[in-house]
Amino acid sequence: MSAPSANALDRVQSGLAALNPKSIAARDGMPAFEIEAEQVREACRLLRDACGFETNTFVTAIDHFPAEPRFELFWQFLSVQHNDRVRLSARVTGAHPHVASIGDLYPGTQYSERECYDMFGVVFDGHTSHAGGLKRLLMPEGYDHFPLRKDFPHQGIEPDKLYNAWFQRRFERHEREHADV
Amino acid sequence: MGSLKPVDEATTQEGFLATRVDELINWGRKNSLWPMPLGLSCCGIELMAMIGPKFDLARFGAEAARFSPRQCDLMVVAGTLTWKMAEAARVIYDQMPDPKWVIAMGVCSSSGGMYDSYSVVQGVDMILPVDVYVPGCPPRPDAVIDAIIKLQRKIEREQPLKARLSGANLDHGIGSKAFVRAPNHSVPTRGSHAVLPPGELAP
Ligand code: SF4
Repeated sequence: MSAPSANALDRVQSGLAALNPKSIAARDGMPAFEIEAEQVREACRLLRDACGFETNTFVTAIDHFPAEPRFELFWQFLSVQHNDRVRLSARVTGAHPHVASIGDLYPGTQYSERECYDMFGVVFDGHTSHAGGLKRLLMPEGYDHFPLRKDFPHQGIEPDKLYNAWFQRRFERHEREHADV
Repeated sequence: MGSLKPVDEATTQEGFLATRVDELINWGRKNSLWPMPLGLSCCGIELMAMIGPKFDLARFGAEAARFSPRQCDLMVVAGTLTWKMAEAARVIYDQMPDPKWVIAMGVCSSSGGMYDSYSVVQGVDMILPVDVYVPGCPPRPDAVIDAIIKLQRKIEREQPLKARLSGANLDHGIGSKAFVRAPNHSVPTRGSHAVLPPGELAP
């Protein structure tokens, strides 16, 4: 049996040939490709249908602030039948990045996409896990900031905000419950 | 023997019956605390050790941990309380029947601990009236047992019958004194560690 990584490299190179991906020498030795952000859906569809990668293991981002393009997004895939992995990356610019969701191709990415949105503010267009679209995963609803961004101070941008929001909700509930007393 | 002791002032003012009944009630309450283990993170493991056979909380009558707030009167906040969990924690507290007490176990629940961070409540006394704070990360089970003994001493000093007869406000809700901080009180921070490039979002 040949080395699994070389195997994956060949499969992806022939499978994604139409998209002309740029091969990257990753330090961990995993086959990695950079593609254009607009091609993400097409690339993931090809990885699933033509290259045998059945599973997505994570979706995440790196904030290169203050450099531009600011965000580097990552999708990592596992092929159970071939026992190998591949990583896709794409760069997006600006403080309000958008990229296409792959939640319908790989249903397992829906939590990862919500987490990536919650922490980095990357909006995944066409995300379908909720009727209302993309929702936060870890931070409470109504929080306006994205904690893993490089320009986020670790004590938070508005440290009182969550407390006051909590108090306000509690106060409203108290008023509701005691309305008829 | 009783006739030889001078009648103390408290007894003459409150009446013999009230003080005796208070004592009986307090004796019952303090020796049958039922903890609600709010094990939020690593301190929860130490809490389990405390309830288990080695440290044997049953010696102090507080081993009957119940996972329903309706059956509990002692909330042990064991771990890191995040803002997302804060609402649930307060709802659980509100669901516990009076009388009820709170122990903040570990530095995380006492003050936020090492999590000087945007997502962690900087001390559960922001949202709950705490009776005993236990320092330590995590505190040893003996330290929490000590806290329970301290709480028993505190319960001994309460005057439940007197409070009932005088019609005091027993509601621990939002309007009562038990709610320790006023709204719009700012969150305590431990100095700014903000690393912001010039011209970017001000903290
Ligand atoms: S005080 Fe220490 S042991 Fe307890 S929850 Fe916090 S970090 Fe964990």
